[in-house]
Amino acid sequence: MASSATVPAAPRVDSRAPRWVGGFTFVLAVASLLLALLRPIEATLAGRVLSPEFVLVLVLWLSFGAGTFLGNGAHPFAWVYRKLVQPRLARPVPTEDARPPRFALAVGFSLTTIALVLHAAGVPFGLAAAAGFVVIASFLQAFVGYCLGCQIYLLLVRGGLIRPQVPIAA
Amino acid sequence: MQPVIAIAITTGVVLVAAVLGLVWRARTGRVRTTVADWTFAPGSLPGLDALAGGATLVLFSTEYCAQCPAALRLLSRLAQERGEVAPLEVDLTNDPDLAKRLGILQTPTVFVLDGDGRLAGRIGGSPRRDELVALLDALIPLPEWSV
Repeated sequence: MASSATVPAAPRVDSRAPRWVGGFTFVLAVASLLLALLRPIEATLAGRVLSPEFVLVLVLWLSFGAGTFLGNGAHPFAWVYRKLVQPRLARPVPTEDARPPRFALAVGFSLTTIALVLHAAGVPFGLAAAAGFVVIASFLQAFVGYCLGCQIYLLLVRGGLIRPQVPIAA
Repeated sequence: MQPVIAIAITTGVVLVAAVLGLVWRARTGRVRTTVADWTFAPGSLPGLDALAGGATLVLFSTEYCAQCPAALRLLSRLAQERGEVAPLEVDLTNDPDLAKRLGILQTPTVFVLDGDGRLAGRIGGSPRRDELVALLDALIPLPEWSV
């Protein structure tokens, strides 16, 4: 009973942080979606890679990548949260398992990878489509507290698209 | 693209997210009692060694479920508050086939089994305490002296 209710070795995060990170992500994702819709796609690879929508998504991609591969705290928005927001919030700091939000960051990393590849390849509205999903997921995370990326985990495992990892300390 | 259209599409995407959020808020954690006619005997689920006399509350979780620890605490508290109720956590992380068989699309999902192991209710999302208590009240007759 309650076999893995508490896994002592699991890393933890401030449970308010993912919503703030989602909020910052939402702002950048909306801006990149709007720019991608407004601006005609450039004819040259250099033009596409230097376009503002590409650069904005690149910032998101690097941020998601830092959180995914180096840990939640390495996400630049998490750093901004720790420096600017957390000191103004009540203590003690409520915490939660860091792995679900980190998986969600990996989902964001995948989506922004698709956006960058499609845009670099010159696919019209490819970046806009992928950015649209980031807008929806980050909105739900920030304003509803619903972690779409976390929910997708079970669907991906069920569909056989990802293999379950060995539990970290179960 | 015309600025007006670009702004309209962007606003539309945000609105879609808002509607999804509202739908999720309205539906999450509700107890559904119109459920498949399933009966779980001891041994039919991992960790289900015995059925509690009143109700067994089965929490399906994964390693990546942020809400599951809080949901398990709620179920454990309910079990402490009333006799004949036992919580059980089933981790689906390494058992996707079980999730498929039981039609579980999200975690936390809670199955409420009555004393005979029959599925009496099903909850997708973090359970709403009042609705779960109402189902337990219906499942577990009050003893004579407390009426």
